[in-house]
Amino acid sequence: MSSHWEMMRADVSRCVSDKDPSLRGVLAALGANMGLQAVLVYRFGRLLRASRTRIALWPLLPAGWLLYAVAACFVRSAYGIRIALSADIGAGFWIGHFGGVEVTNCRLGERCSVGQQTKVGRPQDAQGPQVGDGAWIGAHARIAGPVIIGRGVTISPGSRVSRNVPDGALVVGDPGRVVFRGYDNTRILPHS
Amino acid sequence: MWSELAADARLSSRLRWPDRDSSWRRALIWLRSSGLLVLVLQRMTHRYMERRAQLGWTPGLILMRLLIGLIRMPIMMLTKCDVLESVDIGPGVYLSDCGFLILGMTRIGSGTLIHERVTVGSRAGDPRRPAIGANVWIGPHCVVYADLGDGATVLPGSVVSMNVPAAAVAAGNPATIIRRQFDNAALRRTLARNVDPGSLAPG
Repeated sequence: MSSHWEMMRADVSRCVSDKDPSLRGVLAALGANMGLQAVLVYRFGRLLRASRTRIALWPLLPAGWLLYAVAACFVRSAYGIRIALSADIGAGFWIGHFGGVEVTNCRLGERCSVGQQTKVGRPQDAQGPQVGDGAWIGAHARIAGPVIIGRGVTISPGSRVSRNVPDGALVVGDPGRVVFRGYDNTRILPHS
Repeated sequence: MWSELAADARLSSRLRWPDRDSSWRRALIWLRSSGLLVLVLQRMTHRYMERRAQLGWTPGLILMRLLIGLIRMPIMMLTKCDVLESVDIGPGVYLSDCGFLILGMTRIGSGTLIHERVTVGSRAGDPRRPAIGANVWIGPHCVVYADLGDGATVLPGSVVSMNVPAAAVAAGNPATIIRRQFDNAALRRTLARNVDPGSLAPG
């Protein structure tokens, strides 16, 4: 339970600017940031899934799942953001813009960033992609298949990745090629 | 604002019904085109910001602000489009009815066609925004983070990271210039989106 709460705090803090970490800034982010709302709905679903084993919570679960279903349906149809509960996403997940984001059947590390129109993982694969901590995945990028992507990787907008990527690499193009090793993406990460 | 929107509607209806354009169809298209809704919202917000900077608060501007607040989220949710308020959009621009546009440039010239699922914005870590010239054709599923000159053509699925000169054709991921002089007037006359790059090769 506490780990889910910590993750949600990390998600919110990614979206609040360091200059204005007040309650007002947090509320503004919660109200206006569609990506953050989608991530929080996903965290709520994961929380429900994790509390299956706690019998004391069973009376609350049907109402919780109903709430989750309504919220997830809203996020999917109004914002176009689809984060399946089969995705295992670390704390501090950030979605840049809304529209066409699909995160399914994959494992993302902590402090990952994702742009609009990205597709990470496919539902039909037996094993999905594994992405390391601090990865930045640009808009319109696609990652499919059982690939392992290292820590601090930068995947530039529009790339298609279907092969393993080493730590700290910069990937460009379709098919995605590593054009640079040791690229420092902390400069472009939002509030990491 | 009104004359610009009328030009948008004229272009939209001409694209949608190339041979059967008429005034009542042009009136009808306001109900059927979600790209026009995005343009209405963007032009209204742009006008509001301009007037607000000049005049401060007036009763008309307060009303306009309320109206924008009412229609902004429904239009964004319906169309999945987000166009930056400060973009200077010329008259007679077509934005796709299929939506999913994230646009953050400095200006769009008149006569430009932008198809669905296009992202235009600044490079990560670089605050400078690109400019899109007049009579540009951008195909679906493109990402553009560089300037496009007047009359440039960006083929579907391209990722443009280098400036494209006027009248050139860019294609590929990462995009290269595949042709220097190309007249895209035929492309801009219909909503056809499947372009064969082979037919554009020089010669």
